[in-house]
Amino acid sequence: MSDIIGHTNSLCPKCLKTVPATKVAEDDKVYLLKECPEHGTEKVLIWRGVADYEDMKRYAAVQSKPLRLAVKEDNNCPQICGLCPDHVQHTCLVVMEITNGCNLKCPVCFASANERYKFSPSIEIIKGMYQTMLDYVNHPICVQISGGEPTIRDDLPEIVRMGKAMGIDHIEVNTNGIRFAEDIEFLQTIKEAGVDSLYFSFDGLHGDIYKQTCGRDILAQKLKCIENCEKVGMGVTLVCVVSPNINLDRVGEVINFAKSKVPTIKGVHFQPISYFGRFPISPKDEDRVTIPDLLKAIEEQTNGELMVDSFIPTSCSNIHCDAKSMSVVMEDGSLFPLTSRALGPPKETNAIATKTRTEISDLWRFIEDSLKVEDEGEEVNEWGSFVDRAKTNYLTVSTMAFQDAWTSETERFRNCCIHTVTPDGKLIPFCLFNINSQEGKTLYRHEMWSKYSEK
Amino acid sequence: MQVTIPDNVKELIAKRGLKESDVLDVVNTAAQTNHYLKKGTDGLAKKVIGDLTVYALCDLSGQGTAVVKSAYAHKMKLGKIVNVMGESEWKSVDKGHAIATGHVEIEYMTVKRNGPALVCPACNEAWVEEYLATKTLAAAEGLFEAKRA
Repeated sequence: MSDIIGHTNSLCPKCLKTVPATKVAEDDKVYLLKECPEHGTEKVLIWRGVADYEDMKRYAAVQSKPLRLAVKEDNNCPQICGLCPDHVQHTCLVVMEITNGCNLKCPVCFASANERYKFSPSIEIIKGMYQTMLDYVNHPICVQISGGEPTIRDDLPEIVRMGKAMGIDHIEVNTNGIRFAEDIEFLQTIKEAGVDSLYFSFDGLHGDIYKQTCGRDILAQKLKCIENCEKVGMGVTLVCVVSPNINLDRVGEVINFAKSKVPTIKGVHFQPISYFGRFPISPKDEDRVTIPDLLKAIEEQTNGELMVDSFIPTSCSNIHCDAKSMSVVMEDGSLFPLTSRALGPPKETNAIATKTRTEISDLWRFIEDSLKVEDEGEEVNEWGSFVDRAKTNYLTVSTMAFQDAWTSETERFRNCCIHTVTPDGKLIPFCLFNINSQEGKTLYRHEMWSKYSEK
Repeated sequence: MQVTIPDNVKELIAKRGLKESDVLDVVNTAAQTNHYLKKGTDGLAKKVIGDLTVYALCDLSGQGTAVVKSAYAHKMKLGKIVNVMGESEWKSVDKGHAIATGHVEIEYMTVKRNGPALVCPACNEAWVEEYLATKTLAAAEGLFEAKRA
């Protein structure tokens, strides 16, 4: 028994041409059914739990157009992007890649680092990419400096200083942490240059996990990096790629570890494995972690401290792209979730993008100073204590399901608020920028970076 | 009862996101029911309007007049009185009860915590003072709403 519950466009995973797709509910799962005239039919799992999938719709926000558009042509999403008039959400986070080189060679890498060409844009090109953000994105502007591995560039402090001097509000560095583990002075230098936080890949607490995700056991370096961040006062978000074949059964211990390192660790972001960039297999349904799968695993493995109900969509990206919880870490180490589906969606769903940018730039900083409670002397005021504690002892646990060629949907691209900036002045949804076909062809990444690479 | 809101208080009311009509409603309801607190020439009234509890602090020194000195509100719900600490200078006008200082259960979005308040043990009723509503409770409400949005 199957029911059609929606229609969209998708991509053929073999040729990346746009193809019509139908959303089908079957056996309490949601599938994307699509047919390429040349390469045939694909049926791809996108969600487990039909009622849950439909329930997310109540979180849909009033969306906002991008500040400016770089592309005039419409009706050709996602083949012509930059953004175009069909896009319906602001930019909340800009991803700026400054290298495709890396000090690791991971079997799983969305950026296909160290392959094909050497992309290492000059300071002038990077300046141009910052200028694109200033021209096309409302303040506060949040940028994630990414790669490859951005710390392999010795001029990273200069790049950060330039961004801050030009008016970028929040800068985080996406890193594997290897250099920061070995070189605390470099970590101190980039902090002083203006880096607000690290977006730090951390796939678990066992060496064997890293052997599968990174090609070797680098747990000791991961822990050392966190220790160094604690020493220099750098806030960290742990980023955990989740695969059903590697670490889905170990997500709870990452959360427990993060709790013990608050306030240095501000959040844990789980990324269900997406099959773009470099990945070792052609995915089947059993190789996928949908958002409900992850949330159930978190509920089971934290013994209900965080429940599925504690996670709500941010309502900024598409409602089926992400979920987040925010909790205060109490004196006894337990999590006190502030988010709950039982409370319903936020009342104000307009200007969500502005709120999200403020949250990235404000709440994820190492020292929370946006909430102020004045000293009330000897009065017993548990609300005051609660707010005081919440200012520094909070933990966000979130997830974002990146799209790959199999799971892609045009309305999710159009709703996207996380955009990669390119040297030719475009902003392209992160997933779309990275998507590649089974044979490795991309729509944007390799075409763009090879143009600006050393031959 | 003639109710006056000076311009500087009107500004404060706007800054706190309150409506003048709601503040007038609080004062007029108190005048009709005599259900408010009095300390010297000051009167403190409250009324639940929608999901807000709105307070008006008035100067009642004039004959048949009330001049609004301040107004504030909180979204949190006041629950049972937790303890009674000591005397305050406030008295309830309708019943003549002495109002004490104490603590009351305050709930917001399923979270319950205790906070200081003016309490009437006889009526099991509590009033939040301005400093708590505009600082701690506002910060906590903001915290929850920021996280939810």
